[in-house]
Amino acid sequence: MPDTAPLPLDPRAVLLDASAADRDNAIRQCGRALVAVGAVEEPYVETMIERERSISTYVGEGVAIPHGTLAAKEAVHHDAVCVLRFPGGVDWGGERVTVCVGIAARGDGHVRLLAELAQILLDPDRVHALREATRVEEVVHLLQPTKEETT
Amino acid sequence: MPERTVVIASRTGLHARPAKIFVEAAARQGTPVRIRVGDGKPVPAHSILAVLSLGATHGTEVTLDADGPDADAALDSLAQLLARDLDADE
Repeated sequence: MPDTAPLPLDPRAVLLDASAADRDNAIRQCGRALVAVGAVEEPYVETMIERERSISTYVGEGVAIPHGTLAAKEAVHHDAVCVLRFPGGVDWGGERVTVCVGIAARGDGHVRLLAELAQILLDPDRVHALREATRVEEVVHLLQPTKEETT
Repeated sequence: MPERTVVIASRTGLHARPAKIFVEAAARQGTPVRIRVGDGKPVPAHSILAVLSLGATHGTEVTLDADGPDADAALDSLAQLLARDLDADE
């Protein structure tokens, strides 16, 4: 099992009530959130869209996890995730996405980040709570590893 | 239960494109296949989240298992897939 550490989620990178006209727009908003917390440079954002066109980051349960390509590694200052909720839904190649978790990672960090995130998203209770949370702090708390894992 | 142990060949590890290709192939098998890392808990190979949760990078050894009459054929084809650099299949 990969080491579990708190996901690098800055509360400023959580938006509970976003809306987007389409998938690319939703991804750009995720990218902007990562830029705003100083995690990535602007060019990273377009590679997130590139990645999505080459392969969907939809993982089921109304959740997508957009991230950039390896080509944009120099544009990443530090590992970070952002959480944007789209209560109105966004059409994601035929799927309806209501939660986007954007990811930026240096080097091979993305595999560990994706693994931690996947472990959280595999828990239906947590995904439900993530969808229903009414406060940013709840979302930040939900993306921390479970107590059993932090031994 | 039949098993195959294989080393992840994809340069970027088992995520994004390689994970998608693997998960879709696993879903097409006539029998449920599970995947684990070392002595870890086996997870369904047809679930993208489950596969991502393994955190398998280039060079990670994973073990596939399955049961039933189609198990060996399914395991062979999926093991062959993981032994290839799926990032190179653009």
